[in-house]
Formats: sequence, C-alpha cells, structure tokens
Amino acid sequence: MEKPIVTFAGWGNYTIAFKSLLEGVGLEVIPPAKTNSKTIAEGAKMAPEMFCFPMKVTIGNYMPALRKGANTIFMTENVGGSCRQRYYGAIQEKVLKDNGWEINFVNLKVSPRQLYSKIKEISKASFWQMLRAIRFFFKKLILIERIEKMAQYYRPREVEKGTTDKLLFWFFLKLEELNKEKYFSGLKKEVLKRFSRIKIDKNKVLPKVALIGEIYTVTDSTINFEVEKKLGNEGMEVHREMELSYHLKKVIFPWKDWLIQRKINPYLKSTVGGHGRDAVYEMLHYVKKDFNGVVHLLPFGCMPEVTVRPILEKIHQESGIPFLSLSLDEQVAEAGINTRIEAFVDVVINHFKNKKT
Amino acid sequence: MKTYLGIDVGSISTKFVLIDERNQILFSLYRRTEGNPIKAVQEGLREVKNHIKNHSINVDIGGVGTTGSARHLAGVITGADLIKNEITTHAKGTCFFIPNVKTIIEIGGQDSKIIILENKVAVDFAMNLICAAGTGSFLDAQAFRLKIPIEKFGELALSSKNPTNIGSRCTVFCESDMIHKQQMGHKIEDIVAGLCQGLARNFLASVAKGKNIQKPIVFLGGVSENVGMRKAFEDALEQKIIVPKYNTILGAFGAAVLIKENPPQKTKFLGFGISDKDIKCTSFHCKGCPNQCEVIEARIDGKVVARWGDRCGKWSGLNIIDSNEI
Repeated sequence: MEKPIVTFAGWGNYTIAFKSLLEGVGLEVIPPAKTNSKTIAEGAKMAPEMFCFPMKVTIGNYMPALRKGANTIFMTENVGGSCRQRYYGAIQEKVLKDNGWEINFVNLKVSPRQLYSKIKEISKASFWQMLRAIRFFFKKLILIERIEKMAQYYRPREVEKGTTDKLLFWFFLKLEELNKEKYFSGLKKEVLKRFSRIKIDKNKVLPKVALIGEIYTVTDSTINFEVEKKLGNEGMEVHREMELSYHLKKVIFPWKDWLIQRKINPYLKSTVGGHGRDAVYEMLHYVKKDFNGVVHLLPFGCMPEVTVRPILEKIHQESGIPFLSLSLDEQVAEAGINTRIEAFVDVVINHFKNKKT
Repeated sequence: MKTYLGIDVGSISTKFVLIDERNQILFSLYRRTEGNPIKAVQEGLREVKNHIKNHSINVDIGGVGTTGSARHLAGVITGADLIKNEITTHAKGTCFFIPNVKTIIEIGGQDSKIIILENKVAVDFAMNLICAAGTGSFLDAQAFRLKIPIEKFGELALSSKNPTNIGSRCTVFCESDMIHKQQMGHKIEDIVAGLCQGLARNFLASVAKGKNIQKPIVFLGGVSENVGMRKAFEDALEQKIIVPKYNTILGAFGAAVLIKENPPQKTKFLGFGISDKDIKCTSFHCKGCPNQCEVIEARIDGKVVARWGDRCGKWSGLNIIDSNEI
C-alpha cells in the first residue's frame, strides 16, 4: 500500500486541532480547504441535492486537498447520535467514487477505543506518540474554545471596533502554524496577554443572546455567515454551549443525556436524534437565565432540529424571549440573513429595554 | 423648513417619502425599480427635487433614512444617515397611523413578512425564507399570463361567486394547477379568487405559522392594493383587516420618522445633484485569504465612495488602493 497522505473533514476552527492530532501521530497531512463560496459550490454540485448542508460543505473541503495529492480521508461518523450524519461517510465515499476518486476512506465511529485503534493502525505510531498527540489535540481544542468564548465577551465591549477580530485572526493563524508542543504555552501566554490589552468598557450592561442548534452550523462561522461576530458588533453578548468539547463530554459521560431528558420532559419525551434534545434544554436554560434572545441555527432539512423547532417556537411564545430560527444551506443568500439578524437585533434591544424598566 | 427623507428600495418598487417635523407627509412617490435600483433612486430623487421646486417650499433636508432590500446601496449613493431593515421601519411607520396595531402583514415584491407588535415595538417577526409564493412578483406574472391588468386583478377576484381551490404551496405547482383548472373550464374569476385564497392560506401556513396573530391586523405592501387578497385574508383569519392610507409607502415613512427622532448633527446627504451623476457599481473577488469575499465597489463619477461585502474590513476602510490596480 502506498504511503497514506491524509485529509479529513473540515470543521471551523477545530480543523486546526484535528490537523495537529493527525500530524502528531506521524501522518502526512494536507488539511482540507477553508470553506468559501467556491468549495461550497463544488461540494453542493457533487453531493445529492437533498442531503444536509454540512456534508456538502465537507465534500467541498476535501476536493482541493485531494487535488494536491491526498489519498486517505478521515471522517468521523455518528457524531450526533441517530441522524443522517451516520451515513455521511458511506455517502461521501460513494460520491467521491462516482466522481472518479479512488480514495482510502476511513470511517471512524466516535467511540474512543475505536478511534484510537484505527488511527494507530494507519499511522503505526507508538502508544506514547499517540498519547502525546492526543494531549496536544486537547490542549489546542481547549484553547480554541476558550479564545472563542473570550472573543464573545470582548467583542461587544471593545472600545476600538474590530480589535478583537483582528486578534482572533492573528491567533488562529499562529495556532495553525504551531506544530511543536513546547511552543504552545508561549503562544497561549501571548494571546491571553494581547486579549488583556484590548481596551474594553467593563461596566456596560449588554443584552445577552444565545446561539443554539445544530453543532456544525453553530460552531463554523463561515457557514453561519458569522452570526456570532455580527451580533457581537451590534453590541450583544453572545453565548453558546454547543461546541466540540460539549459533545465529547457527552460521549465520555453518557448520563448527561439522561439529565437533559429530565429537564425537558414537559416538552419532549424522547430523543429525536442529533442534538435535538440539547436545543430544547439550552433554550429552557437561557430563558431561565433571563437572556434577551435566542438564535437557532440549523442546516436546511436537518431532521432533529426541524423536529424540535415547533417546540422552541412554543417556548418562545410562552416566555416572550425573542427567537430567530435560521435555516442555512448553499441556496441561502447572505442579504436575507442580514435583514433577519438586523431586525432581530432591534427586537432584542426592545426586549432588553423593557426588562430593564 | 426642516424635513426628512425616507427611501425604501425594494425588489419591485422604490418608495420616497418626505416628511416635516410633525410627521406630516409632504410628498410621496411610488415607482417601479425596474431592475435598476441605482437609476430608480436617481430618478426618484429628481422627482422629489422637482416637487420641491414646483411648490416652491423652502426645504432643508435634516436627514435621510434608507430601507428595503437595497438599503445599503441606496444608503451609499444618497449618503444616508440611517440604514435600517424593513421590519423595524414598517413597525415604526405603522405605529404612527395605528398606534394600537398588534399584527402587521406586509407582502411586497419578493418578500412577505409578518410582524407582531406590543406597545408599539416589534417583539416577533418572520419572513418567507425560500419560497416566494404569494408575493407581488408572482401575482404580477400570473396577471400577465392571464392578460389581466394587475390593477384589475383584485376586482376580478371579488366578482367570483364560487372560488375554485388552487394548491399554492409552491408557485410552480400553483401555476400548473391554474393552467389545469383553466383547461378544465373553470371561469377565470373563480380561478383568480381561488389563487388569492390559496396565497393567503399559504402565507398563514408558512410565514405566519406559530405566530400569535392578534387584532388589529394591518395589511401593507404592494399586494395590499389587491382587494382580492384583502378579502382572502379576511376570510382566512375571520377578522377585519385594516389597510391604512399610505399602505405601500409605510416602510419609507418609517425610515423618515426614525431619522427624524434621532436626527444627526449634520446630515451626510449628498444632495439632489447625484441624480445627474454617473454612479456605477462593480464587484470583484478578493484574493487575500481563503474566504474569497465578493467585494462590491460603488463609484460616483469614477471616484470610489464605498466598498462593502468583505469580512475582514480590509476593503470597507476606504483609504486604500484602487481596485483596478490589483
């Protein structure tokens, strides 16, 4: 067998962490292309029309890497429980085959043991090398999520508009370049220092908005048209719980699902697949926390999220919290999304002012 | 006299409203965009200027607000002080005439939306996301196909005694259903009335789904001119629908009121002279990073006045090289 040159499914900023994981175990990696209108168009053209948006996006991301010479694709399946994500691997392999790409397609089921053994088998890395790579992966992942969270806090408060986003851009560039674990703590210190230097207005009381919904659309800022940044620049403090580590925690500690189920019992009595239950739970949580708005993001035709949307609408009607549901795919124009977000911001501000008085 | 100008540039029509300090409408204009928003704004401004000149009113423009789907473009070329989404402006405009309004149904050229208000502020809204069934352009197309002037469309619908049922989930199927009904031998007014009912039903089932519709209900936008659609909504909601005066220009009016309430120190309005200037917009793909944003550039008389569409802000800041040099 020829030497594996690996690419994998891209996923927002997490792509950086995945890349260092695979490089850490000694594989040659060509990272997937960053999502842009071209890759989306290419993916959408190849993929079955009615399939969910993230699959089209990831196919589009593979293509430039495949052209550069990648011959192995890592794809994790079954990330969200029982939804169509289970078939992503099988369908992508077939789609690529139909288009003339004979690729060694590695389907990973997300059980920690299976992940471990499969990667070990392909990379032939030693136990210690694996362990080091995994540790580095988690370090990067945790820092990415921490920095994203900090940006959510800093963006609406910054005195000079745009500084936070410039810093974010710099950080992700540096983090991607960083391939030695020994330099990691230096970068971490540096970015935290730079954050602390951003001038902010600490006493500002801001309206709070939460992002909920399907994990891929919520966390990948390119495909959700940078909702987080737009809301932040309008002076909203954005919160979101849905991120990769949240999901990994749920994989490792499965009883979390049971706790969630107990909280949402009046609305939904069973799982609906994906992160459907989580969306209901999060919405209830944010209503309780006196948030001023909830944005629900989903890929067009996402079964679990479409199923819970009427429930979220009901919670919105009962509690009066402003609610906006955005369904995203390659057909959606940014102008339409912007109009909705702008109007939503006005509604949120009205809600915020009413609450205060 | 200090006045404020509101401009609403939609997909099908462009609206201008000039108000004074007491929110009285001095002048209003409703014209078709005809696929060229820049020209529509330029010619509309010329008409506003002519009106001012002909009535020899001493007008001092205190501020300009733009709204509608082309609000950014219109804002750039007129030098607007406020660029606001059409949902907020419609809510604002309607509240002046009907202060206790609870629900606004607005159906324009390509958009249809519902706005729920409480105490004069919007608390909830929805817009059609992927389907343009029931909007003005579809009715336009059908009127053209049936060779009925669009202005007569509503009256024709009202004259029907026995509206036929037309499926209206999707415009394409709706049209084939209409053709089928014609070929079955249904009367044309029954088909037109059935179409109106179907569209009202579709709006309530898709856009307004799950919304708390309370009276008074106000119906706005170009489609509200159509008496057939008014009746269809009244039948479907089993309630009276109010169509206020100025029903088609309330978005522009709302923009003017909003800028009047928060007037700028000095307006950025570029003056009526821009009607005669050469305004061009071009776009290019930025190659700076993998995002590959499509950047749009507006020029007035060859000079770049604004760029937008980039995510990083590299182009939106103006003091940079000419894009011709890339």
